[in-house]
Amino acid sequence: MSAVDQAVADGVLPGRVWLYSNYHCNLTCSYCLTESGPGVQRRELSPARMVEVAEQAADLGFTDLGLTGGEPFLLPTMPETLARLGAVLPTVALTNGTLFTGRRLAAAEVLAGARVALQISLDSAEPDDNDRARGPENFAKVVAAVPALVERGITVRIATTQSEDEPADMARLCALHRDLGVPDSDHVVRPIIARGRAEAAGLGVEVRPEDLPAELTVTADGAFWSPFGPTVRGGRLDTDLLLTRTTDPLQVPAQTLLGLIEGRPPGADSTLNIR
Amino acid sequence: MSRVQLLDASSAPLTARRHYAAGDPGPLVAALATVPELLEVALPFLSTVLGASALDVRTKEIVIVRTSALLRCGYCVDGHSVVALDAGLTLAEVGALRGEGPIEWDVEGEDDLVAWIDAVAGGRGPVDSDLAARLAGCFAEHEIVELTLLIGATMMLNRFCTALELPTAQVVADRLASVGLR
Repeated sequence: MSAVDQAVADGVLPGRVWLYSNYHCNLTCSYCLTESGPGVQRRELSPARMVEVAEQAADLGFTDLGLTGGEPFLLPTMPETLARLGAVLPTVALTNGTLFTGRRLAAAEVLAGARVALQISLDSAEPDDNDRARGPENFAKVVAAVPALVERGITVRIATTQSEDEPADMARLCALHRDLGVPDSDHVVRPIIARGRAEAAGLGVEVRPEDLPAELTVTADGAFWSPFGPTVRGGRLDTDLLLTRTTDPLQVPAQTLLGLIEGRPPGADSTLNIR
Repeated sequence: MSRVQLLDASSAPLTARRHYAAGDPGPLVAALATVPELLEVALPFLSTVLGASALDVRTKEIVIVRTSALLRCGYCVDGHSVVALDAGLTLAEVGALRGEGPIEWDVEGEDDLVAWIDAVAGGRGPVDSDLAARLAGCFAEHEIVELTLLIGATMMLNRFCTALELPTAQVVADRLASVGLR
């Protein structure tokens, strides 16, 4: 049993490895961790590199993949890349869900039946409330995309980023995602984290490294502690949660991460429920 | 102004944070921290080669200041001129190592040591056999190994600090100015 195998089995190391496919996005959300938007530095990982990381992750004993950005589906080859990643390890891909029309929706059909879930952001059952942070017509595009994807046999999860607890709205939101074909088990809720654009806007909860999941996260700029690590502030990449610039072989940052979590009790990084 | 970002404590990667625990670790650490896996190996190496060892501190500072002067590394010359003065070298000795005028070295073997440094750090190709024989008359073989590695490590550091334009700390500049070395 490898060191990663053991740490994952012991519950001290999350089994998921994250990939930041790119940093550019068609949206400019007010709480974005990475200051993503249409004109930002792309910081892309190539499809081949992403598959390589996935294969190395599987060899080391990691159990799952996550993929985020930026908006991953701005990369034309993303559906095929995700299908390849899903063939290596079960994968969840975070997307804003606004691009699934026409050819892009048809291209996504390659994910039907794959070990890939698309996790789409939807923050409120009220269009105005949702669109305030995420941009005009976001709500309408998402509620059109989700059933279209579900009908095509693609697994969809809904992710809600909350600035504060609003139980009544949450009940309406849950009713909505059920109507769209997404069960409660595929609805995740997390708080806004005060990093990136959220921090600049005075939004979100302050976090310490130990509050964040110790999920190995690979970007074009290096490997980080947690997908909340490689954030951008004022156009500059944050380095406070940088593990190593070296990502190949993946064992280098994995070993560094294992060294940092040594002695931590199982589940110590789950205080914000954002694993 | 450095050519690269110098990370402060709030930006320091997780594995680099211990180097900031006692305050500002200086521009060398702050630059290396942007590649934390390099910091992890480079700093112990440099600390071992440049820090306290079997060679006395006076001898080591002669090597570091002289090499840095030959490589024209302002950052290292400044910083180690202060260390050399603290190690007991005279102003005239430090000035001579900085290339500001020749002196007679009082301690036996130090003139050969300076010639060795000049040949290793300032020359190209093989080092003169007569000079090597003279050095062997003053230093044990293991000391020559250490001295020569110290010259090489200092050269590496010199080029790194010079190319990236690491800034001399104000406290160092003030100290040198107070003794007329700046």
